[in-house]
Amino acid sequence: MRIRHSRNSYSPWLFASGLLLAAATLVCGAARAAESEAADKPVALEPIAGGEPQRIDVFPTEFKLQTPRRRMHLLVTGHYADGQQQDLTRAAEFVSSDDKVVAVENGAAVPKGDGKAEIIIRIGSHEQRVAVEVSGQAAADPVSFHFEALTALTKQGCNSGACHGSPSGKGGFRLSLAAYDAVLDQRTLVREDYNRRTNVADPDASLLLAKPMMQVAHGGGKRLAKDDAAYVALRQWIAEGCRVDPDDAPQCVKIEVFPKAGRVLKRPAHTQQLLVLGHFSDGSVRDVTDLSTFTTSDAAVATPRPDGLVVGLDRGEAAIVVRHLEKVETCYLTFVKDIEGFAWTNPPQFNYVDKLVDAKLEQLKYVPSELCTDDEFLRRAYLDVIGILPTIEETRAFLADTSADKRKKLVDTLLERPEYGKYWALKWGDLLRLNNKSVTSDGVFKYYEWIVRAFESNMPYDKFASELLLAQGSTFANPPANYYRATADTNDCTETTAQVFLGVRMQCAKCHNHPFERWTQDNYYGLGAFFNRVQRKPTARKDELVVWIARGGEVTQPRTGKQMKPWLPLVGDAEDVGDDDRRTQLVDWLMRPDNPFFAKVEANRLWSQLMGRGIVEPIDDFRDSNPPANALLLDALAEDFISHGYDRKHVLRTILNSRTYQASAATTPLNKDDVKYASHARVRLLAAEPLLDAICHVTAVPENFPNMPPGTRATQLPSPDVNNDFLKVFGQPERQTACACERSNESNLSQALQLFNGPLIHAKLQNKENRFHKLAAAGKTNEEIVRELYVAALCREPNENELSASTAHIDGKEDRGKALEDVCWAILNTNEFLFQH
Amino acid sequence: MDLHFMRLGISSLMCVGIALAVARADDAPRATEPDVPAAEAPMPVAGTVSFRRDIAPMLVEKCQACHGADKAESSYRVDTFARLKTAGDNELAPFTAGDHDDSELLRLIASGDEDERMPKDGEPLSAEQIALVKKWIEEGAAFDGGDEAATLASILPRLPHPMPPEAYKHPTPVTALAFAPGGNELFAAGYNEITVWNPADGSLVRRIKDIAQRTHAIAFSPDGSLLAVAAGTPGRLGEVVLLNPADGSLVRALGKAADEIFDAQFSPDGKQLATAGADRTIRIYDVESGNELRVIENHADWVMAVAWSPDGSKIASASRDKTAKAFEAATGNLISTHSGHGEPVYGVAFKADGEQVYSAGRDNKIRAWKVADGGNAGEIGGFGEEVYKLVNRDGHLFACSADKSVRQFRDNDRGAVRKFDGQTDWVYSVAAHPATKRVASGGYDGQIVVWNLEDGKPVATFLAAPNYTAAAVK
Repeated sequence: MRIRHSRNSYSPWLFASGLLLAAATLVCGAARAAESEAADKPVALEPIAGGEPQRIDVFPTEFKLQTPRRRMHLLVTGHYADGQQQDLTRAAEFVSSDDKVVAVENGAAVPKGDGKAEIIIRIGSHEQRVAVEVSGQAAADPVSFHFEALTALTKQGCNSGACHGSPSGKGGFRLSLAAYDAVLDQRTLVREDYNRRTNVADPDASLLLAKPMMQVAHGGGKRLAKDDAAYVALRQWIAEGCRVDPDDAPQCVKIEVFPKAGRVLKRPAHTQQLLVLGHFSDGSVRDVTDLSTFTTSDAAVATPRPDGLVVGLDRGEAAIVVRHLEKVETCYLTFVKDIEGFAWTNPPQFNYVDKLVDAKLEQLKYVPSELCTDDEFLRRAYLDVIGILPTIEETRAFLADTSADKRKKLVDTLLERPEYGKYWALKWGDLLRLNNKSVTSDGVFKYYEWIVRAFESNMPYDKFASELLLAQGSTFANPPANYYRATADTNDCTETTAQVFLGVRMQCAKCHNHPFERWTQDNYYGLGAFFNRVQRKPTARKDELVVWIARGGEVTQPRTGKQMKPWLPLVGDAEDVGDDDRRTQLVDWLMRPDNPFFAKVEANRLWSQLMGRGIVEPIDDFRDSNPPANALLLDALAEDFISHGYDRKHVLRTILNSRTYQASAATTPLNKDDVKYASHARVRLLAAEPLLDAICHVTAVPENFPNMPPGTRATQLPSPDVNNDFLKVFGQPERQTACACERSNESNLSQALQLFNGPLIHAKLQNKENRFHKLAAAGKTNEEIVRELYVAALCREPNENELSASTAHIDGKEDRGKALEDVCWAILNTNEFLFQH
Repeated sequence: MDLHFMRLGISSLMCVGIALAVARADDAPRATEPDVPAAEAPMPVAGTVSFRRDIAPMLVEKCQACHGADKAESSYRVDTFARLKTAGDNELAPFTAGDHDDSELLRLIASGDEDERMPKDGEPLSAEQIALVKKWIEEGAAFDGGDEAATLASILPRLPHPMPPEAYKHPTPVTALAFAPGGNELFAAGYNEITVWNPADGSLVRRIKDIAQRTHAIAFSPDGSLLAVAAGTPGRLGEVVLLNPADGSLVRALGKAADEIFDAQFSPDGKQLATAGADRTIRIYDVESGNELRVIENHADWVMAVAWSPDGSKIASASRDKTAKAFEAATGNLISTHSGHGEPVYGVAFKADGEQVYSAGRDNKIRAWKVADGGNAGEIGGFGEEVYKLVNRDGHLFACSADKSVRQFRDNDRGAVRKFDGQTDWVYSVAAHPATKRVASGGYDGQIVVWNLEDGKPVATFLAAPNYTAAAVK
């Protein structure tokens, strides 16, 4: 261990950062534990707030009940003078105009006999009437295996991944995950183990019911009660003979969730009943709320109950994902509340970014932090745009510059620096898997050079993507062809393309329908049909590969054995283009201006590189259940990106010039709880390569990498195959997957050890040719040396305390060199140095 | 904390109880003296609680799934009397003879606090059930079940089973079939009964009632004097009984279990009966005395079928644990394991030479393997679906499959002899009677088909559902 004395005498930044890192990890862990605990607690339900609405409305405004078992829940909304809306469903009084036609039981309209009637809905003095048409009450109404029995199993959690939906099931009973395989489930429920689980002769004796009701002990505990809709459906399905649906049975073609528009609910009116309507192929519209499953994107903000009542817990936004078999829809709800001491400060808005960020902040009642200082901005912008720290001269020049637009000028300068292309090639090298194993060592250099040039020349993103996706030919002559070398088979191409260019993680759908999202197994293989004709063959030249397109070949869905047509998300099957390259269709679709993924994913990626967190986070996990923190902002960025010809520098410049980017990292009581909405800069540990470069910069001792020219920076390495322990410890990825998550931003004990007494820092401090030893040898004073170190590491001069503590430490030591090493070591171990802020 | 107060509250209502409890705690030797010493416990009479009759069924039904061999919450088990009286993690005596205040089990089933009340997450026991436990403890907590180490499921009194439906509204899957020794009668699994049919024309001969809900095996002793039936109610009960085939009367109840028993096979000399069940065991009983001779606990999951070697020296088994195994019958020692199926194994039979075993399962194959080392000896494919029971009779192997077929193979070279068509659903069971040249099968849909072995033509096709009237579906 090295010096300790100076720790307390330095500014608050000056702490043994390794320990702080470890502590921060612990705190995070504890916070997470508390969060999950809160999620497990039963949701407290407060009474409806009351107040006198100006008017009420009821949905649906009319409906039909066409079979004996149909039901319809009604949503009642109160509209108030201040523009607020409140869900009054629980408070409303429902009366039938004719009990022989329809009755209201537990808030749902229940058919009693063919005919027409009205439901009268009353709240105080307000009254609404809803027309009901009841028919088909004498006809049979058998339970649908698909749309009732299977959804019942999903609703009760029977086929979840933690229970019988796991690949090997539980207790010898296996169901398909979220009922993706109805054929298998029917077989398991009815035939497997000699018809053990269902008992047609005595439905209540069926193990399928007795176990989850704990009449026969069940490892999963009590999961089903007699008044659950799931019980009624399952019991009747058994009593009717466990039948499969006839081939001509109506199919659920889509579901709709109400209320539709993103509703804003203000405490204490923070509950909302949801209504789920299923549209069936026979034209009927059915209330399927009771057999739909509800999950939340943020359990700290809002939690849905099984009956579809969403209860707000804190301010923020929540996506409630509603699932009915493989149909998935999302309801976005915003929850706000009054915050003590909140007053909007009308901060300056530099461009549309600030306007959209502020709108969200004001709605959720966060006040943004002040602008950061010039030295903070300088350091932040250098690290974010080109990955390195400014030189002492650059820093001093910038700080001395008194022109009003100097930040803007700096942004322009940085975007044109040669380091820009190399730094952003590092980021894309992760996604495109630039490493010796994936694309060979020769391939790495050629591929890397292509990416660097693309960024240097500011190649439009659409061109960049299509050169990769449509690449053919030699991986040496046409480096983008390495895209198909790194993605070695059709499935890999599908998953990589979905993740990098659609921001969608499709991997789950390879083996089963995605358990939480709309992606089905058919979708996965449908997307794969764009890539299955891509062929790869080696040439006579070592490590060269030629990519070419075969004239035929189809993808077969392994579960159904069906041949899949190329399929475009949200569009459907693509047109047959015969022997032409199918990838063109995919690329054409990607680059349509109305493509909902392509521009947004890159705009979000650019935002996250600068802001430390995506508007959608994780950045390659766009899904209904993971909504953007600020959808309008992401839309605007994407639109701006497209209208400027997919100019990445334009988007970067826009963000860099915003007040939002330039906000201080220091929080205030009115924004300290915010992590999502960009009210202040996000403090984050430097990534492995910029951190190593920064250490080299402060000490002025470059790092040498094998097979690379001397002076090569870590941020400019084409591949991670340099076997550098320091980089690995700080999260440098091996680039084995296209997932941005492979780059770890977790802090760990090894990092603390590297910083305290790791060999890399130790050697650089002891190197007699380093910055401070040379300055000392050149006769500089201790104060001059300390000042240089501060400016090099932190882009600012030391304050009085820091300067006097440092010089006092050096003065008090016999060995001046060792004392200087101590001071530099201490600076390298400050949070101010290690963190981006 | 709450518990503590509550316990004090109860006790303070019974000052005498406290005094007694304290005195007992201070005076160790007396603590072991129940009011009525177990050794001298009178035979249960009306008004007295019988553990076997009144308490054990409740424990098996309500408690054992979480406090049993598979799962022992809080390290407490109730699957034998010996374990029932041994404290779990809380180290509190589950019950103390004569002292219901020092009986944690009683306290927990009677607790008003839902967080601690047993059964956890389940319906509470009824007031009558709780009163029975209390009275049993007050009367001395005597054990009237014989061996304290025997499973409770095995000592439960045999209660009459529900009556079968007079007229079937739904056919029941025919999960077991057997020809009577003379070949003139066909015994089939019914619902809470065994139905007996004339294989020549499918007419109902008689019904044997008082059988557990589902029957999985019907076996005649070699001399034809006894009928062994393995049956059960899914998740609730398993039972093996010996019946008089002539009138269906109970000769002897052999074993009981907490879940279904899937197979029962007589040894070639008829002196022993081997069973296989969901408790993962193979059990061997002495037919004459009904005593359990041996328990083989080797499989990791349900044992679906057992078979004896022709000389009676070995037993083979098929299990849902994806293996088939061979054991020495006299010792229960494992001889070999065959893992070739890689899927659950449902059926098993010895080759006539006793050196090989056939097993069949979800991998849609019959595999022949060597008893000596479990190694492959060959396989029979061609099935379109999983294969269930195997019967090896007089040089021919019969198999039934979910592909709606029954197939016949030569035992000596595994050559295919014939495929029997005519079933309309999965075939769960098969029985052969070479002397009268008949093979019969039973399906999921309740249909029995009897074929002529010589030409493969169906002789009779009928629904094994007495007085069947299709249920009206609303």
